[in-house]
Amino acid sequence: MNDVLAFARGPLFYGCLIFFLVAMAFRLFRVLALRWQVDRAKPKGNAAEGAVVSFLKALLIFPFFPGLKGLSQRSALVFFAGGIFHLSLFLVIFFTAAHTLVWQSLLGFRWDPIPTPIIDGFTAATILALIVLAINRATNPVLRLLSGPSSYLNLLFVLIPFLTGFIMYHRLIQPYIAVYAIHMLAVDWLLVWIPLSRIAHFMFYFFSRPAHGAEFARRNAVP
Amino acid sequence: MDQYGKQAYDEYRQILRAGIAAQFDSCVRCGICAGSCSFYTETGEPRYTPIWKAELLRRAYEQDATLLGKLRSLLGWGYKWDFDTLKQWSVLDYEACTSCNRCAQACPMGISIGALIHKAREGLAAAGVVPEDLQKVTRKAVEEGSPLGVTQEVFEERMEWIAEEWEVEIPTDLIGADDLVVFTSIEIQKFPTGIAAIAKILNTAGLHWTISREGREITNFGAFVADAAITKQIALRIVEAAEKLKVKRVIISECGHANDVMRWSLPNLLGHRPSFEVVHITEVMADLLTSGRIQLKEGVYKGGPVTYHDPCKIVRRGGMVEEPRILMKAVAGEQFREMKENREKNWCCGGGGGVISIGEAEPLRMKAFGVKVRQIEEIGAQVVATSCSNCRLQFVDGVKHYNLPVKVTTVSELVAAALLPGKGGN
Repeated sequence: MNDVLAFARGPLFYGCLIFFLVAMAFRLFRVLALRWQVDRAKPKGNAAEGAVVSFLKALLIFPFFPGLKGLSQRSALVFFAGGIFHLSLFLVIFFTAAHTLVWQSLLGFRWDPIPTPIIDGFTAATILALIVLAINRATNPVLRLLSGPSSYLNLLFVLIPFLTGFIMYHRLIQPYIAVYAIHMLAVDWLLVWIPLSRIAHFMFYFFSRPAHGAEFARRNAVP
Repeated sequence: MDQYGKQAYDEYRQILRAGIAAQFDSCVRCGICAGSCSFYTETGEPRYTPIWKAELLRRAYEQDATLLGKLRSLLGWGYKWDFDTLKQWSVLDYEACTSCNRCAQACPMGISIGALIHKAREGLAAAGVVPEDLQKVTRKAVEEGSPLGVTQEVFEERMEWIAEEWEVEIPTDLIGADDLVVFTSIEIQKFPTGIAAIAKILNTAGLHWTISREGREITNFGAFVADAAITKQIALRIVEAAEKLKVKRVIISECGHANDVMRWSLPNLLGHRPSFEVVHITEVMADLLTSGRIQLKEGVYKGGPVTYHDPCKIVRRGGMVEEPRILMKAVAGEQFREMKENREKNWCCGGGGGVISIGEAEPLRMKAFGVKVRQIEEIGAQVVATSCSNCRLQFVDGVKHYNLPVKVTTVSELVAAALLPGKGGN
């Protein structure tokens, strides 16, 4: 089992990481190669300002206060569970003590982790949010229409690293090494899966969201 | 893939740009857009979910420009591109969407879904899979110069009659005028009071304006069908008239989509900005009022609680957010009430984007209007004013359908009724 773990957190991890980076860059290149459409109409408002406003609103406000947007009451659950999930995801990936060591090995520097009991709470929140989102996807008629098998696989493949991380921390299943190996294999697989799936939205989000703000603001409307 | 499917697919390949691709790639299939669309909320039909209406375009993108899509086709799991599939989406895209783009405001990823649906229409238009009524009216607009039969003769007769009936001067083909005002065929044929009101306001302000017998109406069915060539052809009638008359501005009357076409699409259709500025009558009136060129008499308005319906192309796609409010408050003061969702978040009337011209879509557009009924009832409005002829027509139909004790009017008519005499007379 030690060998499996060593392989999963060693060569396999680095191989998957490289695949992830190259594949994401390729996807981005494919999209950008289609060229942006030039808008020749005279702008009425400041597009750059709109891009920033739209981005900040989406990042800091809307996901956590669904009512504020005034347009998402019917999807408050998705909005809220999605918001909590993304916040937890960010904190767990970057601020778990063990993860900061991984980042240090990759980047050469480190930052302070968030105390593990707090991270543990966020992990639990993520697991819960993912389960809620999966149930909602399977039962809501609109989401059933929009979903394919990959929609559920996305949730599952994200869930496994969180679940195994949670199990490891609480020593719920023994041997620890086996759970750790599954955790690493799941992370490796996720790195391969992301560029092939809609989870890659996190990259395109940086284009679509500011573009929305710019489009509205160009026309002098609030995004 | 049959010939219809091929025509649509080829069109999608042509119009595919990075903006479209990035938007589809950022979609997480969260379904939040459904709750923002009255065609969904009033019927509960999942297929009316905005992003689903853009599905054909997404499939074309996946198949044409992604490795997974190509692999899928190679393995024989590609999408169907045939008449039946196109027909299925033709109903969704033309009859259950006004391209109001409210969904873009709801989308957490900022996807401009309304614009994508319009693009999806472009493929259907290229394949000719367009609802028959819409096709007929568009053909009429191209061949006769008007969807509602406003030939030059009819135009001259109507304008003369309006000038006489409401005692307003309507300058015609005045070379060197500052402004060319172009009305909609709906106003010319159904709402002459709107034309009289605008003429009265412009005359009172002393503007040097004209109408044109050549560029006589602003309605552009090319935009509804989503055929760029027809859109350009119809828009060029106005461009040529404006250039001939050497005007500085083209003023769009109370029409939403025409403002969208002339103000925002025209430079892209022409490949350059036109020689004139394009403004909407709402911003012109607000400017005239704030600059003191027109003045309104207080207390003239006695119609009870009045609200303003933001037309999608005027507010979300036109950025005229406060202008109509400046006018409404000046006219109605305390009697002016906002609907709960207003400005950029306003609910669509359900009749725009060509939907109103499709006979078989009538029951659906009346259902979609249900949300407006609730909005009006929530605030107890007795009068609804808007600044788009298409919305106005939908409200007139909707109010009748739901038997509401509500009067439908336009901002210009309310302003005209409260005008104090100005230097231009009238």
